[in-house]
Amino acid sequence: MDKYDNIIPDVALLSKISGYFQQFLPLSIPEMAELARYCEIRRFPKRTILIEEGETDDFLNLVVQGIVMKYIRMPRGEMILQLATEGHIISAEISFLSRQPSQVIIETLEPTTLISLSYDKMQEALENFSRGEELGRRILENMYVKKDEKKYAWLAIGVRERFIHYMEHHPHMLQRVPQKYLASYLNIKPETFSRLKHLTRKRPGREKEVI
Amino acid sequence: MDVIQQRLKNFLDQFLPVTDAEFEMLWQLLEPRSLKKKEFLLQQGETEQHLYFMVSGLVHQYFYKGKEMVSTDFFPAGRITGGVISFLSGEPSYYTLQALEPCEMISLSKTSLEWLYTVNKKWQKLARELLITYLISQEKEIMDTIQLTMRERYVQFSRSYPELLEKVPQRRIASYLNIKPETFSRLKPLLKNG
Repeated sequence: MDKYDNIIPDVALLSKISGYFQQFLPLSIPEMAELARYCEIRRFPKRTILIEEGETDDFLNLVVQGIVMKYIRMPRGEMILQLATEGHIISAEISFLSRQPSQVIIETLEPTTLISLSYDKMQEALENFSRGEELGRRILENMYVKKDEKKYAWLAIGVRERFIHYMEHHPHMLQRVPQKYLASYLNIKPETFSRLKHLTRKRPGREKEVI
Repeated sequence: MDVIQQRLKNFLDQFLPVTDAEFEMLWQLLEPRSLKKKEFLLQQGETEQHLYFMVSGLVHQYFYKGKEMVSTDFFPAGRITGGVISFLSGEPSYYTLQALEPCEMISLSKTSLEWLYTVNKKWQKLARELLITYLISQEKEIMDTIQLTMRERYVQFSRSYPELLEKVPQRRIASYLNIKPETFSRLKPLLKNG
C-alpha cells in the first residue's frame, strides 16, 4: 500500500484534481502526490451548511464535484456572492485568511466533494512543500482576478448582456441552481430573470430545451 | 537610504520585513517614471507589464459604460498602482489609468518581478502577504457595497480617505461610491456633524 492511499484513495480522483490545479501551476505527478499529503477529501450531502455566520472558516476548498454557494443573509433574503462548481475555489476568505468570524455563509446545493486544505496544513505546505509558495501565490492571484472580473461585470454590463454572458458560459447552471439564487448572484430581479429565460431557448444546439 | 527608498521599504515591511541586502537587490531593478497631469498610465485594451509604487500625485482608475465614466479606484502616494489585474492575468486591461495630478512613481517590470521570484523565495512570500491584504480589502469592499447604505458608504469613505475628498473631483467620488451626483451633494453636510 502506498502511504498516500488513505488520503487520496482514488487514482481517477487524483488525476481530476491534478487537472484542476493546472489552471494555477502545472505540477508533476510526484508534486501532486506530495501536495495531496496536506489536503483532505470532504464529502457533504446537499443543503449542508459548511460555515455559519460567526464561525471561523478553517478551510480553503476546491470543488471536485457538486455546487457550493457563498451568501449573506439580508432582511429580504439571501444575497448570493458566489456559486462554485467543479474546478472552482471557495472559502469564506476574509475569515479564512484573517482568522476572524465569518460574515458569510457557505452551503452546498448538491451532494458535494471537496478537496480541502486546512489553515494549519496550508502553513505547513507553504513551509515544506517545494512549490508551496508559488502555488499559494498563484491561487491568491487567481482569486483576486476572478473577483475583480465579477465586480467589473456587475458595474459595466447591462442586465440582459450579463444574463446572456453567464448562461453562455455556464449553460448547465439553470438546471442545477434554483432560479432565485441565480437571479441574486447575477444581481437581476427575479421577475426580470424569468422574462430573460426565453433567451436561452432560441440558441442553436439547445433543441431539447425548446417548448 | 534616501527618503523615497525609505518610504518603499516601510511599505514592504508592513507585509514582510525585508533586509537591507534584499531591498538593495530590488532597488537595482526599479526605474523612475513620471506622469504629467491627465497623462495615461495605461489605456483600456493594453496589457500591463509593470507595477508602480506611487511616490507623489494621484492616479484615477476608470472605464466607460457607454458614455458614462465609471470610477473604480484612486491611487494616492504610498499605494501600488498600474493595471494590476491585467498584470496578474496577462489579459488586456478593462480599466484605464490616468493621472489626476502630476505623478512621481517607481516601476518594476513583470520580467524583473518573475526574476526576483526565482532567486529568492522571500519575494514570493511577500507577494502572497500583499495579495492576502488586497483580497481581504476587495472582499470587504464588496460586502460594504451590499450591506451599507449610501450615507454609511459616504461617511466611511470620508473617514478612510480624507485627502481624496480634497483632491478628487466630486463627481468622480460619487461615481466611485455609485451615488448620483445630486444625492452626493445632499450627503456632504453630514461630515460636519459626524
